[in-house]
Amino acid sequence: MSDIQLYLLEADKNAAEAKQIAAHSASKLQDKSLKLIDLVTSLEPYLNNKEDGDQRAKSIGYVADLLSALPPKVLSLQERHLLCDFLLGRLEGDVEGVGATARALIALETLGKWDSETVQKFKLQTERLAVVQLVDLLLAKHRDSTRKLQTEDAEFMPAFISYWEGEKDPRNLMIIFSLLQVPMTEWDMGSHAQDLFDSVFNYFPITFKPPPDDPYGITAQDLKDRLKACIAANSDFAPYAFPQLLDKLDSTSINTKRDVLQAMQACITEYEAKTINLYSVTLWDALKFEILNVQEEDLAEEALRTLSLIGGKLAELPEDGPLNAYLRPIIKECNEHLEDAPTKQSEASGRILHALALSGPVVADRVAKGVLPVLFALYHGSESITKRRGLLEVFTPIVEAFVKLSQLLPGTKITSLQAFAEDALNAMVRALVNAPKSEVSFRLASLTGLTQLLAAPGVLNDKQIDRAVDTVTDVVLHEQVDGHGNIRAQAIKALASIAHSAPQSIRDRTIPAFMVELPDLPEANAVPSTKLEVFAQLARERQVFDTVVLRLKNKLNSARRQQAPPAYTRALLLSLLYAFTLGSPMEDDGVILSSYYGDYAQPLIDDIVRQDRADKDVAEVEIVGRICNAILRPQGVHFQATVYHGDREWMARMVSNATASDVGTAPFLLYYYGAIRPEVVEAQDVMLLLKHQASVALHGGQSQRHTASSLRLVSLLVNKFINPKTMRSTLEDAGTEAESLLQNTSSAQALNVAFAVIKGLVLQGKSGTLTTKYLNIILDHLSSTSDNTAPHLFSTLLAPDDILTKENHCPISGLHKQKVFGQVIPKLTTAVRTADTEKKAGYLVALSGILRWLPYSIISPALTDLITALLQTLDLHDEPVIKASALTVFESILMHDPQTLSTHAASLITRLLTSCTTASTRSAGIRNTTEVRAKSLLCLALLPRQLKAETVVPFRRQVVKRLMGCLDDAKRNVRFEAVRCRTAWLGLDEGVDDE
Amino acid sequence: MEADKDNANPTIINPSDLPSRRRSAPTAKRPGIFDALAPAYPSLADAPSPPEALSDVSSDEEREEIDEQEVYDLISTISDPEHPLSLGSLGVVTLDDIKIVRPTSPRSRISTVTVLVTPTTSACSLTTVIGLGVKVRLVNALPPRFRIDVRIKEGTSKTADEVNKQLGDKERVAAAMENRSLVSVVNNMLATCE
Repeated sequence: MSDIQLYLLEADKNAAEAKQIAAHSASKLQDKSLKLIDLVTSLEPYLNNKEDGDQRAKSIGYVADLLSALPPKVLSLQERHLLCDFLLGRLEGDVEGVGATARALIALETLGKWDSETVQKFKLQTERLAVVQLVDLLLAKHRDSTRKLQTEDAEFMPAFISYWEGEKDPRNLMIIFSLLQVPMTEWDMGSHAQDLFDSVFNYFPITFKPPPDDPYGITAQDLKDRLKACIAANSDFAPYAFPQLLDKLDSTSINTKRDVLQAMQACITEYEAKTINLYSVTLWDALKFEILNVQEEDLAEEALRTLSLIGGKLAELPEDGPLNAYLRPIIKECNEHLEDAPTKQSEASGRILHALALSGPVVADRVAKGVLPVLFALYHGSESITKRRGLLEVFTPIVEAFVKLSQLLPGTKITSLQAFAEDALNAMVRALVNAPKSEVSFRLASLTGLTQLLAAPGVLNDKQIDRAVDTVTDVVLHEQVDGHGNIRAQAIKALASIAHSAPQSIRDRTIPAFMVELPDLPEANAVPSTKLEVFAQLARERQVFDTVVLRLKNKLNSARRQQAPPAYTRALLLSLLYAFTLGSPMEDDGVILSSYYGDYAQPLIDDIVRQDRADKDVAEVEIVGRICNAILRPQGVHFQATVYHGDREWMARMVSNATASDVGTAPFLLYYYGAIRPEVVEAQDVMLLLKHQASVALHGGQSQRHTASSLRLVSLLVNKFINPKTMRSTLEDAGTEAESLLQNTSSAQALNVAFAVIKGLVLQGKSGTLTTKYLNIILDHLSSTSDNTAPHLFSTLLAPDDILTKENHCPISGLHKQKVFGQVIPKLTTAVRTADTEKKAGYLVALSGILRWLPYSIISPALTDLITALLQTLDLHDEPVIKASALTVFESILMHDPQTLSTHAASLITRLLTSCTTASTRSAGIRNTTEVRAKSLLCLALLPRQLKAETVVPFRRQVVKRLMGCLDDAKRNVRFEAVRCRTAWLGLDEGVDDE
Repeated sequence: MEADKDNANPTIINPSDLPSRRRSAPTAKRPGIFDALAPAYPSLADAPSPPEALSDVSSDEEREEIDEQEVYDLISTISDPEHPLSLGSLGVVTLDDIKIVRPTSPRSRISTVTVLVTPTTSACSLTTVIGLGVKVRLVNALPPRFRIDVRIKEGTSKTADEVNKQLGDKERVAAAMENRSLVSVVNNMLATCE
């Protein structure tokens, strides 16, 4: 019986005996009585036994035992490689035998047969990957045994470490970095720590750039992360890691510095606190330079974060010593910088203290105790406003840190800050009240400081809060500074954020103060609009929203009772509207509470219905409609249906006996129907209303604003409520069918109604054939008339509309702009080419009217056809709006596709030069508005930058000369553009010279 | 490079303390926040109405004179050749040191702008270059009816007389702008101007 058979027999029964057998075979190999090749051949049937995985595993086990019993130098190099290859092959192919194969390889390896040199010199890259994977597997599956190996064998570690030397393949490195973490974190590295550390730190910083079509998808960041984890794996690395990292921090490469800071942060997080303690001050001494002399903003931020992490780590220790030792030099240095505030250094000190305080309540407490006494002593000891400002700019970040901490960890100890609350409050209140108004930065610093102080919970007592709030309120309400020194805007902002942190005080102090300032009946018709604006802005804070709107409503009621001028009631209504559209009303499930409708919208609507005056204030009616829209729109079907059926009665009455007084409700109905969901409304109501509004719009006699509302309402009804399937017949019934409207007459009213209907259809995109037909009708209409009403109406088709929106439950086709472009633009460009001068203007106006609302991506494919027409549009001197929109298109072309314009450079430049001058200097008949002049200059300025030099240089002299006139334009913003434009053209020559 | 600077640590004025038109303009025509509630898009009913448009244009053409603030805005954004900071924030040019003298007789159209430049230190060797930059900027940006006079503020520079002579001499300014390296320094200074 051969040895292998014996081994297999004994393997299960008696492990020691089996080993004995293997050892016996080994000795036979040693004295050359058995050849390796014969041995392997004898194994073959067992190794390849397909049925019995167990037997395969045991066979390999035999090899493993045999190899481990073999003394060194028995096998030749060649034989070792053979075995190695063989075992590696097994490893990939045979799952059962993995453990044993691994053991066999380990045996091979402990004998020193399989040294690093072999791995490097003789293995191909792919094989190295297998080796690496093997060791990884070994470490994963046989932690205990490998660990034992390491403790027993002194030579193991150096060998283990040296295996990986010089490895370059990123895939291997990924695994090596991760497998090395096992010995790093779990084994007792003893004297090998430095070697182990150096073996990975050699790779720092990683500069790997993955090849363009890297199949493995390993990024530099992956490698960096793994390497970072290695560096941070064990506190024992600290003596090597920190000095080397600090050394690399002096690198000139920003990227290296970034990696260093990242690695440091990882070390600080992972190492033990008592280790960090040894290096804390050293680290501070190095890191501070990144913050005091900012090289790159993100490096400074990382450095600050690192400082903060150290603070947090040291605060974990039970004793105070280490933290104090760390903070002492920092606080000392920051305090020194405070002495000559404001400087770059004092500002940096503020950032450092802020970052430190953020690391935890204990640190924040120490920082406050260490810095605030000095800070306020300096504050009181100096009369210089600039210095005081510099000190406040350090104080505020510290408070800010407390605010953030309190949000993260409610109940953060604030006593050390509280101790100086009174000092701080006094200083800042005094600054706001008494300092000269021209000291803007000082007062602003105080304002931010106050806001932060109020945001830190529990720092100020109620009385102090009231005092602070009163001060800011007073600035907002009573300060009358025009020009330099006006800090109202910032004060208003501050007030808004105070409303969040101290809502009670805002309710008790600020809101009553505003109420005193807002009269029931304004004197001499002076509407206190700025005060109202600020008051309405307070509604942005949810906690005070209800109080604000309630006060506004009461004020409105008393103003109405006392017959205040309409301008005032209108302003009050606008404030309410602002609160409901941009404020933060109470919500239920993300939807504004429906009870607001009953409390606010309903009474206002009742007012409108009750008012029997013919001269209803249109603006007021419209605002009520919009308030109503804001509250009603998001409500569910059920609530809307209840509201709608409650209103049907008076609305029906209004439609049926249309007296002059009822017509005035159109602006309201527009927003009301805008809010209602389509399924809520009854079809016959829509029909009646459409008929009614169309007849109002057709017969005229109303103010422009009324008519506008009626027309928009027509668009809305067509778009949202009429069934697309019966569209044509419904339109006919309502007398709004565009074809018949335009057949008999081309009155402005009929055109308006037709365009309103078409607009509703275009946006809806559901009645394709009808829409196309109508678009063709209005295009044909252009050729039959030289009146300029119709061309101008084209710009209304695609103009944005705050009624026809998805939020208003309108069906809006995503492709409507493309469709209109496709159907209208080609016809218009052809018409421009063929039409006579008289008609041409109309086509050009219509074309611009469409183009101005189209996104550039839609226009760009058709540029070549459009440019000629657009250039001609610039000759329409009595159409400033149209000209401006053509210029906007040119601006986009110049930004995105300048090369398409290079052949037209001459004609474009001539026209732009004509458009940028005023009437007085040019021939009569050319009248360019400010907007046109500024826009022309803007486009003209783009030319030298966007077109090739040889295209524009010939025009330089002419342009620079002509622009001289624009430098003296009557309008400041035109002059501003002229200066920019001229600078761009003047710069042109130098560019050519240099080449 | 750092050590070469004549004044390595100048005083920097906080941006909110610099004069600007936004803050010095009266708040009369400020649009209210409520106006923004209703966006103004062309609607069907406001088709062309020429008479209104005409009256609009006349108010549109009300003249806004070139004033000291405007001159200040033109030159305060020039950057210092030594520091990456603007002349405004370094206090090299200030609003108070800009004077515009309107034409004295109705027949003359010529106004004079006088700008006094304050170097950051009295020994600043780049004073001439700064003055030149200011002058070039104004010549390019102001209409020809302005005579431009750039000088060094009295008592702020040891070389004031010499520099003033140079800046006041048209020929010498023109000659300086032929010098390639000077031109590139000046262009770098002006690159930050809007």
